[in-house]
Amino acid sequence: MQFLLEINTEEMPKSHIETALRQLKDSLTEELKLRDIRVSQVRTYGTCRRLVVVSDFSPRQKDKEELLIGPPKSVSLTEDGSFTPAAKGFAKSQKIKLSELEFIKTEKGEYVGLKKVLKGLPTQDILKQILPKIISNLSFPKMMRWSDSPLRFSRPIKNILCLFNQKTLPFTIGGINSSHFSSGHRIHFPRKIKVRSFSEYKKALKKNKVIIDQSARKKMILQQIEKKLSPLNATLFSDEKLLDKLVFDVEHPHVFLGSFPAEYLKLPLEILSTAMREGQNLFSVVQGKKQLPYFIGVADAYRDNKALIRKGNERVLKARLEDARFFWKQDIKSSLSDKSKSLDRIIFQEKLGNYDEKTKRLEKIVSYIADKLEAKKEKKSLLQAASLCKADLLTEMVREFSDLQGRVGGLYAKEEGKPIPVWKAIYEHYQPLSLEDPSPSQLTGAILSIADKLDSTIGVLGIGIEVTGSRDPFGLRRNAQGLCKIILEKRYDFSFSRLLDKVLVIYGDRFLKTKNEIKENSLQFFKNRMQHIFEKQGYRYDLIHAALGSGIDNLLFSHLRLKALDQLKDSPQFEPMILIAKRVNNILRDHPRYKVNEEFFSEKEERDLFTSFSIIEDNALPLIAKGDFSRAQKIVFRIRSVINIFFDNVLVMVEEKRIRRNRLALLQAISALLIQIADYSQIVVTGSDKN
Amino acid sequence: MDFKEKDKMSIQNLIMNLHSFWARQGCYIAPSYDLEVGAGTMTPDTFFRVLDDRPWRVAYVQPSRRPTDGRYGENPHRVQKHFQYQVIIKPSFPDIQQIYIDSLTSLGIPLQDHDLRFDEDNWESPTIGAWGVGWQVLLDGLEITQFTYFQQAGGIDLFPIPVELTYGLERLEMFLEGKDNMYDLWWSDDVSYGDLRLSEEKQFSEYSFNQADTDLLKKSFQMNKKEAQSLIDKNLILPAYDICLKCSHYFNLLDSRGAISVTERMKLIFEIRKLVSQIARKYRSKEDVS
Repeated sequence: MQFLLEINTEEMPKSHIETALRQLKDSLTEELKLRDIRVSQVRTYGTCRRLVVVSDFSPRQKDKEELLIGPPKSVSLTEDGSFTPAAKGFAKSQKIKLSELEFIKTEKGEYVGLKKVLKGLPTQDILKQILPKIISNLSFPKMMRWSDSPLRFSRPIKNILCLFNQKTLPFTIGGINSSHFSSGHRIHFPRKIKVRSFSEYKKALKKNKVIIDQSARKKMILQQIEKKLSPLNATLFSDEKLLDKLVFDVEHPHVFLGSFPAEYLKLPLEILSTAMREGQNLFSVVQGKKQLPYFIGVADAYRDNKALIRKGNERVLKARLEDARFFWKQDIKSSLSDKSKSLDRIIFQEKLGNYDEKTKRLEKIVSYIADKLEAKKEKKSLLQAASLCKADLLTEMVREFSDLQGRVGGLYAKEEGKPIPVWKAIYEHYQPLSLEDPSPSQLTGAILSIADKLDSTIGVLGIGIEVTGSRDPFGLRRNAQGLCKIILEKRYDFSFSRLLDKVLVIYGDRFLKTKNEIKENSLQFFKNRMQHIFEKQGYRYDLIHAALGSGIDNLLFSHLRLKALDQLKDSPQFEPMILIAKRVNNILRDHPRYKVNEEFFSEKEERDLFTSFSIIEDNALPLIAKGDFSRAQKIVFRIRSVINIFFDNVLVMVEEKRIRRNRLALLQAISALLIQIADYSQIVVTGSDKN
Repeated sequence: MDFKEKDKMSIQNLIMNLHSFWARQGCYIAPSYDLEVGAGTMTPDTFFRVLDDRPWRVAYVQPSRRPTDGRYGENPHRVQKHFQYQVIIKPSFPDIQQIYIDSLTSLGIPLQDHDLRFDEDNWESPTIGAWGVGWQVLLDGLEITQFTYFQQAGGIDLFPIPVELTYGLERLEMFLEGKDNMYDLWWSDDVSYGDLRLSEEKQFSEYSFNQADTDLLKKSFQMNKKEAQSLIDKNLILPAYDICLKCSHYFNLLDSRGAISVTERMKLIFEIRKLVSQIARKYRSKEDVS
């Protein structure tokens, strides 16, 4: 039987709509399946004002068969075929008539009993019960209350349509009674609409200018855009995020094409499209890379015959562009360098000083990184970019469009005639904003981005601000991930640990905690971010822990370690070696460090082990230093047979102190080599962890 | 008084139409508050009334001063003082969205020919510890109203929940008259916005950006802050609140003069907020002198 639910609300944000539909689908399916009701084909649809679920459910619960077993047949019947007291007692206790007793065959023999059929409840009774709970339990990133309703929801609920088998399914939530009514487009056809089925609902809504299916709306928008732009031989400047938002923001899309005076094309594309997108939700129109003096908007309407929507938007946009042009003109009256003299007026963070101080730190940090990466010829551009990269915070443009920071600085630098390594570095130094965002394209930009992100991260961690999944006001996690992404992508090979030291020295004495404490916190913080990145790349969690267990002194090397483990994980030698590593670890637990003295070896097997190990170590160490963990690992794994022979024939924990300590020392040396490749003890082996 | 075709569009008529509409919805039409405020939300008719649990419906015009928005009368749509039309309905009507839409229709706007959108925009005022969930209402891309369900004020959870509608009168009138320049709007039949406000904008911009005595402002802020605390301690919370509003305005002027660093700015906002929280708490628990 068909089930249809429409929750009509005030305008919900797109993210809320998506999570609500997902939760509705999941909870309904789960709750009904739990109660033995067949659920098929749950479809969900949404607009900014409607959450719609349509499905098919069996009309009632499956009947349940309950087997009541009594005494065995052998003691239930007397010789003359009547029931014994045992059987009678059973019937009485179960409140059934003797005549209802059956003989039931079980594995253990025949018993007296009854097959009771529990008739399934009608689905509609169950729905009436579970729907109010399911709806009021929907959770959103931000919940609100309204009027004097006891409900907490994404936005105020205005109406609930609920049908089951073409009839109203009556229930109440927050004082709202469900009915068989929906309504049309809020402005054009706000009337009540009576429905009895999904197809009727869909058709009626369409007639009243509401397109319920989001994929249909998206298609309509794209088709209408194509129709408007092909006569101009132009395309949309792609903005998937805006498109997806608009698909949900309108119940009936109507695309319109507007224009603006061509003189504004002198403004850079970034500024034009930001001015269009922020606050007016408009798309820029381009011909290849050339910006055209047109824009595309999507209205919640079905026509614009008087062109009032287009003209209204044109007027508003013109005012915005005029402002942007005014800002540009004002801003270029002074150079970025002049502006940067006032950077001390902007606080970076209360305890971390102003942006002038940050800039000076950045200059030192980029200089250090440039030396480590042997980027001598880029150093001059790098220093210039660092000295100017925050100056745009003092511009009118960034004050108005704060999202454009960095890019506006780059554009002004370009306007001043600065070379590409300088202006592009400034332009891109906030990238990547997320793991999906591209890293800076220039070496100068990449180094500047790393420096800026690291300076912020160390600073904020240094003053003891706690960063969690739900509380990260400075976006440190995103920052740190961006930094790691750049290093991994560009394969920068340098000591991350020493870079942290350097940044702490540059910060000086402003922190209450010790430098060591902050460094440890920071390393742990970055370790977590690397773990997150590797998880997203699909590596096995235990391999990730093993690779990171060797420390993140060199981020690139951590990745190379992980790759080496990943390559070998399915080979037959992998697991036996892991078991050996774990065994070694277990033996070494809680022992202090000892040094090997060859004179104290007494058995052949331990001398053999020592000899083999020395050769392996000599071969592996240079590979490890280069980051070639793949080959180093293969070499180190060759120790397997000789160490097994050692374990089979030699007892490590002997009485004699000298010999015992020497054997521990040998194992410690082996363990110390292994850990440089990975912390193998973190790796999970299939089957048991036997020694 | 309803809009008639032959009446000339003017801010005066707009105000009278809105008054008429909201009076019909049961609102008390209040006079504007007589202190400098940045928004209608900050006046006692809103701030105090949302804090208690009795029903409340009010509508009023509120001149709103934001010194940093001054443009010496040279920008056609940005001014240091603009006029808001503030409506508070507590508890919010279940169909308040439709009623708001009806208010636009009552102004003669044929919504069928336009694009009306409720665009997510959650509002907050750190100075008075208030935040809400709502939308900016866009009419063909022009923001004409801030529509908010207040969740907290003075740091306190509200119940019942009030809805706040803040119309931007100049914006709305620019839409109705089809004009691009605020100063060309009519305030009455023969008095334009420019007649009334151009000199004011020029002089106040000069004052806020270049001339205001920053020492005087800083001293005034500190002295009034102390006075507010002493009044709070004596449970005279209504006068104390007025003084907090004064502090807030001094802060805005210091900001427009560029006389406060971002650290100090956070500190001063926090100081006002501390006072306002105490006031809100005392008002709620009826600890005031009345």
